[in-house]
Amino acid sequence: MKRTIIPFGPQHPVLPEPIVLDLILEDEKVIDAIPTIGYIHRGLEAMVDRVEFTEMGFVVERICGICSFMHGMGYCVALESIMSVEVPDRARWLRIIWAEISRIQSHLLWLGLGADAFGFENLFMHCWRMREEILDIFEKTTGGRIIHSVNRIGGVKRDISDSELIAIVAKLDELGKTFDATAKVFASDASIRHRLSGVGILSMADARAVDAVGPMARASGVRMDTRLTGQNLYDQLEFEPILEAAGDCLARVVVRMREVRQSIDLVHQMVDKMPKGEGLPLENKPRGNPSGETFTRLEQPRGEVVYYVKANGSKYLERFRARTPTFANIPAMIKLVKGCDLADVPNIILTIDPCISCTER
Amino acid sequence: MDKEAFLARVGEYHKGGWRLALINATTVPSPDETTAGVFELSWAFAKDLEFETIRENIVLADEVPSVSDFFGAAFLYENEMRELFGINVTGIGLDLQGQLYKTSIKIPFSHAAVKARLEARGAATAAASGKKA
Amino acid sequence: MANPFRLPMAPRTIRNLFSKPATRRYPYEIRARFEGARGTIKFDVETCNYCMLCARRCPAAAITVSRDERTWSIEHLTCIGCNVCVEVCNKNSLSMSTDSKSVHTHAEVGPQGQRPGHEEWHGAAPEPAVARAPAG
Repeated sequence: MKRTIIPFGPQHPVLPEPIVLDLILEDEKVIDAIPTIGYIHRGLEAMVDRVEFTEMGFVVERICGICSFMHGMGYCVALESIMSVEVPDRARWLRIIWAEISRIQSHLLWLGLGADAFGFENLFMHCWRMREEILDIFEKTTGGRIIHSVNRIGGVKRDISDSELIAIVAKLDELGKTFDATAKVFASDASIRHRLSGVGILSMADARAVDAVGPMARASGVRMDTRLTGQNLYDQLEFEPILEAAGDCLARVVVRMREVRQSIDLVHQMVDKMPKGEGLPLENKPRGNPSGETFTRLEQPRGEVVYYVKANGSKYLERFRARTPTFANIPAMIKLVKGCDLADVPNIILTIDPCISCTER
Repeated sequence: MDKEAFLARVGEYHKGGWRLALINATTVPSPDETTAGVFELSWAFAKDLEFETIRENIVLADEVPSVSDFFGAAFLYENEMRELFGINVTGIGLDLQGQLYKTSIKIPFSHAAVKARLEARGAATAAASGKKA
Repeated sequence: MANPFRLPMAPRTIRNLFSKPATRRYPYEIRARFEGARGTIKFDVETCNYCMLCARRCPAAAITVSRDERTWSIEHLTCIGCNVCVEVCNKNSLSMSTDSKSVHTHAEVGPQGQRPGHEEWHGAAPEPAVARAPAG
């Protein structure tokens, strides 16, 4: 049995993200995978020494383009917790509306990339065409398609009028119908089923043992969702985390598809429940410098993100750490890749929804 | 740092079905030249809706035991701690021997590097305010 | 084994044959940006009082202001479009327009060799201050 080492990434035709793995192969089966990080490492966490805490929010937003809104929101929520700032109600609702729309956008992006990875480019284009509608919503409401810059410590900077919210909900409903037609393709197409069904199975026990988070764990039947903690007004919404039992690549695709539908339903609920009116306060500016430390958890599209912020009373933070969900899912990915065929490696890597910009910061 | 007691606590969390959420290190700048710089280490565990942390303060010379025996996924955090902070973590499950990160500055969060950045910031602010006035 | 004759993409494919393309022929057709989109910062030299608040609060350090020389300059390609300068200016001298920053508009190097995207304004000299009698 001859062993070969193949460097997989950072550039590879089927790889959506510049992940670097050294695959150790015996014939066509992968024995081991060794990860390396550093291609996208920009040292953003070291910037706390140079950037004031009011401006750090803009740096944190730019850790990643797909997960951008939740990073900005998480940073602001963490600092509001340290400085004991009470955020106005309407601002909190607006934040989670944008967060759920951001989740729809992220899952549509991933579904497109998934389709592209196993060769179905037409489906990739359809998913991204739907995503354009979401990006238009973002540009109209926040001013930016990818980087929004609406989160500030103490609230948000822009408002969405009640009539606009109703229009957004109508647009999302229309999108939902187009999405259902595409979801049918993912679920029933024979070629997709052949590539994904039964590949990369992660059992529930394994998912717990490697501490997988997000849709990766939910597709193996582990009921884990940070939104269940009820923070950030999620306790006022009714939803149940989406679980699948099979734990293979197809189950992970199905979980993300159903989460798009769930997010559209959540936005409906939010627009119904939020306080209505014009000219409500949106921001409660804090005074002084932060002092203290906190852990904040949010549910990003890829899983649970943990922010650790430590401040020492000056206008520069002492430590900012973002443990992104892909960082937690890399051990799960390495476990899945061992023992599979070389041709399945890109599919498996894709189904953990890697976001290497987030991981390497 | 009391390694036995620490590992016993980690074992309790593992037995109770907790999940490892984060291992973090913070470089705390030392107040003067004579005291050794401190690193604040946090091991954060999560289970359903709860979130608990173990905090240990160490200095550079201390040895930190790995928790890979209990939580296999810890190797990433511990390799990162070793490469970015220079902390001596022993017994990591998958030891990447300094090859995980590729940074242009070795050990960017060591006390010396952090002090250099703070001093550079102080000099830059002084120059800028001198220019702007 | 799934039915190989089931074609879930067929309705979409047939619809695509008879509808116009989803893509726009950029740069011959350019979509107008939505109102409120983040674009380029515009400066009104008449109202500025050179308090330097915008330069201090800019996270990217894109704005440089000199009170003594009455100059205000911005590097458009360094600007991240965060809108903080517009928010803090108490004279309403700054506003965010929806003009995109593209290589077409900002590629030229300035006449004195400044960076591409550099914009500089020189304000009028202030009124001479009234001489005060020394105290005491």
